[in-house]
Amino acid sequence: MAEAFLTADMAHTPATPKTAPLAHDAPRAMQPLARRRYALEIRQHMAWRWQALILAAALFVGFAISAAILVAAGVPADELANEFVTQTFFDGQNFRAVLFQAAPMILVGLAGSIAFRARFWNLGLEGQMIWGAIGATTISMWQIGPENLRLPLMFVAAVGCGLLWVLGPAWLKLKLGVNEIISTLMLNYMAANFLLHLVYGNWKDPKDNFPYSPQFRAFERLPELGGGVGSAILLAGVVALLAWWLVSVSRVGLYLRFVDANPRVAHANGVPVRRTIYGAVLLSGAMAGLAGFAVVAGQEGRLTQAFYQGYGFSGILIAFLARNNPLAATVVALLVAALFVTGRSLQVFYQVPFSMVQLIQAIIVVCVASSDFFIRHRLRRVGGEVLQ
Amino acid sequence: MSGSVILNWLASTPDFAIPYALAALGLIISERAGVLSLGAEGLMLVGALAGIGAQIAIGQPAVSLVLAMLAASVVSMLFAVMVIWLRVNQVIAGLALVFFCQGLTSLVGSMADWTNHATDGIGTMALWPLSMLPGVGKLFAQNAMVWLTLPIFGAVAWFFARTSTGLRLRAVGENPQAADAAGINVTAWRFAAVLAGSALVGLAGAYISVVSTKLWIAGMTGGRGWIAVGLVIFARWSPWKALVGAVLFGCIEALIPQLAAAGVQLPQYFVMMTPYAVTLGVMVWVALSRRGADEEPGALGQPYVREERR
Repeated sequence: MAEAFLTADMAHTPATPKTAPLAHDAPRAMQPLARRRYALEIRQHMAWRWQALILAAALFVGFAISAAILVAAGVPADELANEFVTQTFFDGQNFRAVLFQAAPMILVGLAGSIAFRARFWNLGLEGQMIWGAIGATTISMWQIGPENLRLPLMFVAAVGCGLLWVLGPAWLKLKLGVNEIISTLMLNYMAANFLLHLVYGNWKDPKDNFPYSPQFRAFERLPELGGGVGSAILLAGVVALLAWWLVSVSRVGLYLRFVDANPRVAHANGVPVRRTIYGAVLLSGAMAGLAGFAVVAGQEGRLTQAFYQGYGFSGILIAFLARNNPLAATVVALLVAALFVTGRSLQVFYQVPFSMVQLIQAIIVVCVASSDFFIRHRLRRVGGEVLQ
Repeated sequence: MSGSVILNWLASTPDFAIPYALAALGLIISERAGVLSLGAEGLMLVGALAGIGAQIAIGQPAVSLVLAMLAASVVSMLFAVMVIWLRVNQVIAGLALVFFCQGLTSLVGSMADWTNHATDGIGTMALWPLSMLPGVGKLFAQNAMVWLTLPIFGAVAWFFARTSTGLRLRAVGENPQAADAAGINVTAWRFAAVLAGSALVGLAGAYISVVSTKLWIAGMTGGRGWIAVGLVIFARWSPWKALVGAVLFGCIEALIPQLAAAGVQLPQYFVMMTPYAVTLGVMVWVALSRRGADEEPGALGQPYVREERR
């Protein structure tokens, strides 16, 4: 593959006189492959089925590389398809595990999509998630509100805390022009240390002294819907529909597309650029906070020290692969959740480290991001006619 | 604070400052050529793991450090191909590189069983006759990498300011169209800058694992690569200012164990937040002072495409 780009780039250098006589003599179609010259040009439009084909090819390459690494790591090749497809989607219990895992995944994917739509690199999804979880746990720890209002209060606290944690970077970016990539990342590390401060400090479970908060009471946990499916996935689905409505139907969605295309032109046309960006970024933080709530109240039932790990990257990946489309993000999030579930079973059965999941995600992103080149550019044969 | 505490503090500062300094210098090289390298955190991990792997296999610190630089360069080719040839958004490519390296290093580290495997570091090298001075002498007994860092900085600063090659590199990052018109191969220079810069970033990572901690733990760089990215903005892409910034960060990080040793009671996890909080503060300060905004390379983060409408 690399050689193809080499020749493509060599076309930038003017044709040297050395090759000219040869090109002149040979009919264009019969030139030896090595002497053909290509120019790269931007493709204005590509039919969607070709785009889909290129995307599928990129995914295939990504999965093929991942499969090769898995086999090298000791997973029998003939077991791969079984582990990934059959066991994950066609086994009732495992599919419930995927749905269980998918709820926070969908929420962080939506959080990423909304912020990236406003051209704000919210890399602080993990920090906002941690604060959402801390907010929800505070309500439980301090027993605020009556029993039947406890869960809604935890919901509100999670949303509020996630939103506040992203308010700083949003303000710094819009007011002072501080790079949000660095600021949101630094706040992640600070939030993670504050979480450790809590679970190793005052919030440590007095029962067994492990670094996690005391278990939530039954009415502080997201109820089961029946059939072993939690209500967190329902919550995530509703949020996904709302996000879809927001970006595809509502006026805000139109504003966001304006701001994404060109903030200055948007401003000149009377779009409230700043308010739109603030709104999108704060909403993103709120959704990430909600993801924290979904983990502590829907999965763990308490605040634990490393519950957030992997969600930040997954959220960014989901938003990127879904092209910031909320409905697509929901589907991609389900697939990433399946990857997580499979990764855990590979860890148990084949001693493959869980970091494999992150590596596979990164490989897929690299392949899909690179494939974009072929959608946006094309190679055109040059040189033949000109030289004659 | 007594005098000996201050002396111990200053003597331990270089150990904390060197990784920031080398990583920031590596980033300056590639950003001066117009490539925004957000992948530093990942490349530092690659350097750190490769360094420890070589230490375990060969046991020669000098060889390990060189191999770590090579490893980081090789991995950064993935990034270079993505952003220079395939014109992938540099933020996406940088993030993908970080996550790729995090996954790869923690996978390789645990599969090869290099985690928590203690190795021999490198010995101290006293800078005679300064090291014989009473009291302050211990400031001049540092490991060889500390002494080597200064000439590396000198060489890079001289390269940018005094050589025509350095001028070409800066031209590529400042105005690739003009550089191209002047006959400079933008693609090749950017590629070279990314590889060379990544080697230094890898060296920074290897310093942490091979020289400082002498062992490997997954994710051991703990955000230092990101701090280096912030440091470059703080230093306005100038090597010497980056060195000053790195020493400042080193001082702050070195103070933490000294205070703990002196018996000062501090909430541990808040103390661990300080490097990140200081980075954030520095970024705000740079934004407020708005000094040297024109020193940012003009084409930073933009792919170069000849004769292309954008």
